[in-house]
Amino acid sequence: MKGTRTSLSQIDTIVGSLLMILALVASSFIVIIAAFITIRGILPFITDNNGLGSVNVLQFLTDTVWLRGTTFLSTAYGAGFVIINTLYIAFLTVLMSFPIGVLTALFIAKVAPRPIAATMRTIIELLASIPSIVFGLVGVGLFLPVIYGIARSMGYSSGGGSSVIATVFVLSLMSIPTITAVAEVSIRQVDESLEQASLALGASPTQTRFKITLLAAKSGIFSGAILAVGRSLGEATAVALVSGNARSGPSFGLFETTATITSTLLQGLKETNGIDYDIRFSLGILLMVVILTTNLGLNFIKRKVGNVHG
Amino acid sequence: MEKVIETQELSLNYGDFNALSNVNLPIYRNKVTALIGPSGCGKSTFLRCLNRMNDLIDNVKVDGIIRFNGEPVQGVGVDVIELRKKVGMVFQKPNPFPMSIFDNVAYGPRQQGIKDKATLKGIVEKALKQAALYNEVKDRMTESATRLSGGQQQRLCIARALAMEPEVLLMDEPTSALDPMATQRIEELIEELKKDYTIVIVTHSMQQAARISDNTAFFLLGEIIEFGQTSEIFANPRDKRTEDYITGRFG
Amino acid sequence: MVKRKVRLSEILLNSSVFLSTTLSALALGLIFFYVIREGTTLLNWELFTGNYHSRNYIAEFQDEQLQNYDMPDLSKVENVYPVDRFGIVLQEDIDLAGNGVVRVYYVHPDSPFNKMISKEVGTEEVDLDVGMIFQRISYVNHPTSLSRGGAQKFATELSDPQREVYELFFSDLGGGIKGSIITTIYLIFMTLIIAVPFGVLTAIYFNEFAPSNWITKTMRSFIETLTGVPSIIYGLLGITVFVPLTVRFTPAVNSNLIAGALTLSVIILPTIIRTTEESLRVVPDDHRAASLALGANKTQTTFKVVLPQASPGIITATFLGIGRVIGESAALIFVLGAAIKDTVNIYEPSTSLAVHIWSMMTDEPANIALSSTIAILILAIVLVINLSVKIGVKLLTRKGM
Repeated sequence: MKGTRTSLSQIDTIVGSLLMILALVASSFIVIIAAFITIRGILPFITDNNGLGSVNVLQFLTDTVWLRGTTFLSTAYGAGFVIINTLYIAFLTVLMSFPIGVLTALFIAKVAPRPIAATMRTIIELLASIPSIVFGLVGVGLFLPVIYGIARSMGYSSGGGSSVIATVFVLSLMSIPTITAVAEVSIRQVDESLEQASLALGASPTQTRFKITLLAAKSGIFSGAILAVGRSLGEATAVALVSGNARSGPSFGLFETTATITSTLLQGLKETNGIDYDIRFSLGILLMVVILTTNLGLNFIKRKVGNVHG
Repeated sequence: MEKVIETQELSLNYGDFNALSNVNLPIYRNKVTALIGPSGCGKSTFLRCLNRMNDLIDNVKVDGIIRFNGEPVQGVGVDVIELRKKVGMVFQKPNPFPMSIFDNVAYGPRQQGIKDKATLKGIVEKALKQAALYNEVKDRMTESATRLSGGQQQRLCIARALAMEPEVLLMDEPTSALDPMATQRIEELIEELKKDYTIVIVTHSMQQAARISDNTAFFLLGEIIEFGQTSEIFANPRDKRTEDYITGRFG
Repeated sequence: MVKRKVRLSEILLNSSVFLSTTLSALALGLIFFYVIREGTTLLNWELFTGNYHSRNYIAEFQDEQLQNYDMPDLSKVENVYPVDRFGIVLQEDIDLAGNGVVRVYYVHPDSPFNKMISKEVGTEEVDLDVGMIFQRISYVNHPTSLSRGGAQKFATELSDPQREVYELFFSDLGGGIKGSIITTIYLIFMTLIIAVPFGVLTAIYFNEFAPSNWITKTMRSFIETLTGVPSIIYGLLGITVFVPLTVRFTPAVNSNLIAGALTLSVIILPTIIRTTEESLRVVPDDHRAASLALGANKTQTTFKVVLPQASPGIITATFLGIGRVIGESAALIFVLGAAIKDTVNIYEPSTSLAVHIWSMMTDEPANIALSSTIAILILAIVLVINLSVKIGVKLLTRKGM
């Protein structure tokens, strides 16, 4: 009897340790990702790339042309414009999708009768579950011809419609469900007595929704926006299909072709070695740094804004 | 004595549940009317009928007549927003909006379209003074209202209601979430406010009702068992059930 | 005056809410509408079972011994044109890119189109099979028939007894997505086999075994951070870690489906861990206590009492994982490339359905029709998964109550 008892608890120790090893592996992936990409991404800057010379860090971070010189013969890479494009597009995307997403959430949580709210919620869930390649496909097939036509009628030449605005449209479609889903939850969590207090003060339901409900839910709404920004920054295939993959920039005009970190990453895939391949890991570092700093920055703002009257 | 509000044969159902039945109650001007009774007796529901906050709940059916200054408050033609401007409300838990002290008090007037800074400042100061909060917050008007203490928050909520210059102030257990000191400040304030306003207060505390109210209505299972002058009700309750409740035999 | 102004602003605010909602709903409608409009023309069983790469054949007749062929009854079929002279029937059809083609509808067993002499190196004899498409037929001293002219013209010219067939050029239909479907299925199974046990066991560790200290907290936050990593970064992980690993330990020599599945496993791991943990958390502690009180140890309690109750959550997690695998494109483009294959081998690269779309869209010109057809397939699967998860969650919460 005593023997079984010890062996049973011994089993517990063994199983616990085995499970812990799995958990450690699972939690180490983020470290592995960061480490491997950082190491591979730094190599082009510190090695001589088989005699081509090392990539200049400063030029890489600031230059406005992706590659000066001939591919595989030059190391004059520049991603400064790509960084600016990426942030610019993410900013425009939030500008466009944030109001739509939040107001849709407000409709679902506060305005719509129950069956309509449920339907809308399902629509948003479905929109969220559509793979990004499908957004890219619809962007190419539906948006590009329209944008091309508009651009031409306004006297701009655009690369078949591939443009900043097309990228922003596609990313906005992808961001709306993220923003709506998170905002809806936080709107529903708003203390009802706040809304009642506002109504009791003679404010109309509409005034209450906009002045009190949204205000009280702002922290959660902001979190949704941060998530959406993260997704916009990291989205690759859909962007690559509609951005035009410009090789220089930055592109601020809405009808100009553009390139983001991710779309540039997807270029030049045919090669499997050499500097043009390795430089993608450097872009990988850039992408992670941009996402991380944007996230930290936005979270800092969120805390600041949230603290004022939180 | 002038009746500000009067209900006749007021009944209210939540779906199948009968929350109020045949309530007849007058609310007299510049008096404090206390509504007492055990939990779930309908006193809060009754209070919420007076500014039609029950409209917000699904499946509510109200029968009977409620008159405010002689005019019916139920029905399609009545502007509920106008009613709520005249009949202010203070809630159980202090619920300042997540904005500055000034903005909290100015919220109501602003929603009515008042934008002029000087006017708003005047309204806010007056309301805060009436709520006996002005001296404590006059130097920190732009600070977040959520940083005030619980008692201050509740007085802010009262000031917020007063800024609309209502005739009637409905208070739904306004001190139940406060400590004794803060409660005392609010009770003093109520005493002060009844000079200018008519107050209807729901309270769980017999002592509070006895201390501050002029008239008391005792609710039980959605009905008014007894209504009269507070001194009368507490000294000589006519109904056995009132006596049982007041003396703490149930509830 | 004042009141009127308020009303106007209210109307504006309310309309902005309705407008936004309409736009959001429209977004989904637009996507479905577009994909269905563009994609349904190609939607047929052949597409799912057909090869992508079409083979071309150039051949000539072995002997031109013609006879009278009994032709099938064609009265009920439209757009078919019999060529009695050779015992074949041609059909006007469209290929998977939506272009008009001349297809073979029927070949008589004794037709000279069977057992033709191939003009290519290596093969000697080829047959014209039903479903193949004609590119052109050259005649001696007569202009060549081109498929562009349509099946009717093609058949008329071929029926002309004056014309002596000199050379035949025909091919398989091609454009099918069989290989990509098989790849997707492979990827789903391999990914789930790796990620589900891994994720479930990790969730068990965190919920049942882990001490609550800063180490556990850090591990959790590390896993949580994975959800914010863009898929393209996982692609980089795949080519630096998993491809070399699989090349070393398997017969693979380059990027391969196993590396793809490993990459996808890391992608879906945080979802599986989180969803499983949520369902473990709703298992009442009483059940654990009751089992422990009966003398069972923690391991037995966890695997015999707790885990079975968490199974709806694990199934939900599995479905979510399938959805992610089907939709993933960027990471797979990196790890597996975008070259479409007809024969799939787990030690070699091939494309999933989503990457197939990428491949079609980056083609010159982009094949929107076929991409949309694949998108319909993907959306249908995603829709089913979504509904299943919804029902699953409903069942789960009912159980929890």
